[in-house]
Amino acid sequence: MNTRNPEQHAPRGASLVYLLLCALTLFTWGVAVTGQSGLWASLLVLGVALLKGQLIGDWFMGLRGVSGLWRWVVLLWLLLIGSLVSAAFVMASGG
Amino acid sequence: MEASSVRTSQRRYPPGDLALWIFILAELSVFAVFFAAYAFTRANHVELFNTYQLTLDRNSALANTLVLITASYFVVRAVGAIRLNNHRRASQWLWAAVGMAMLFLLIKGHEYAHHLSEGINLSTNTFYMFYLSLTFFHFMHVILGMIVLIILGVRTGKGHYDAHNHTDIESGASYWHMVDLVWMILFPLVYVMQ
Repeated sequence: MNTRNPEQHAPRGASLVYLLLCALTLFTWGVAVTGQSGLWASLLVLGVALLKGQLIGDWFMGLRGVSGLWRWVVLLWLLLIGSLVSAAFVMASGG
Repeated sequence: MEASSVRTSQRRYPPGDLALWIFILAELSVFAVFFAAYAFTRANHVELFNTYQLTLDRNSALANTLVLITASYFVVRAVGAIRLNNHRRASQWLWAAVGMAMLFLLIKGHEYAHHLSEGINLSTNTFYMFYLSLTFFHFMHVILGMIVLIILGVRTGKGHYDAHNHTDIESGASYWHMVDLVWMILFPLVYVMQ
């Protein structure tokens, strides 16, 4: 019988997510320092930010282990922010 | 092997105190309004925002983002350790997170000192008004989060918590991750998106 606590696997998963978050952050910084600008570059960076947020919600805040509406609170917040900010940037670009 | 034994157990509520999660949602709502206000105000002052955004120190912002992510990782490890009843290891991870929080405050403080030395304040222009108020509002949350982690570090080190009783740690961790989560949006929005 497997008596290992599934949460013992948590450090390895969290470590991988941590490395991924760092990599995505470096990507975002790279976009900035290479002077990428414009609507699509901004939306890409925003998308990466939302992905990072969801990783934090799922793996750091522990929401992936939750059932029901609480499972989705961070995702809903991210989608709300994503929608509003995207709309504002599209508006600003004249689109 | 039973498949269910390796599946993460589902819980009805998020880790920590539910009342704190209500508070977290309230804080996230406030930041959401702040972010939207920034983005829509920018839409009417694109040149101004683009110009003064370039005066910000993106390297410091990168460092601070990595610092906050690292602090969050340390907090995750602390929660993992206490769930395995290792309060000493949990305390060590919490103190490591406190160190990261202090580093964030130092780096951000240095940025603010630089702005002050150049005469930049809330009245300088609309961009700086948003930048300073948004980041300072977040800065205050980092201070509170650090205080929470310090208290938890002390209590955990003294053995107040164990595998069956650590709701306080989970609550503090949730609050800290909220602070990190907000910065994940703030950093690209204010420092990068042009």
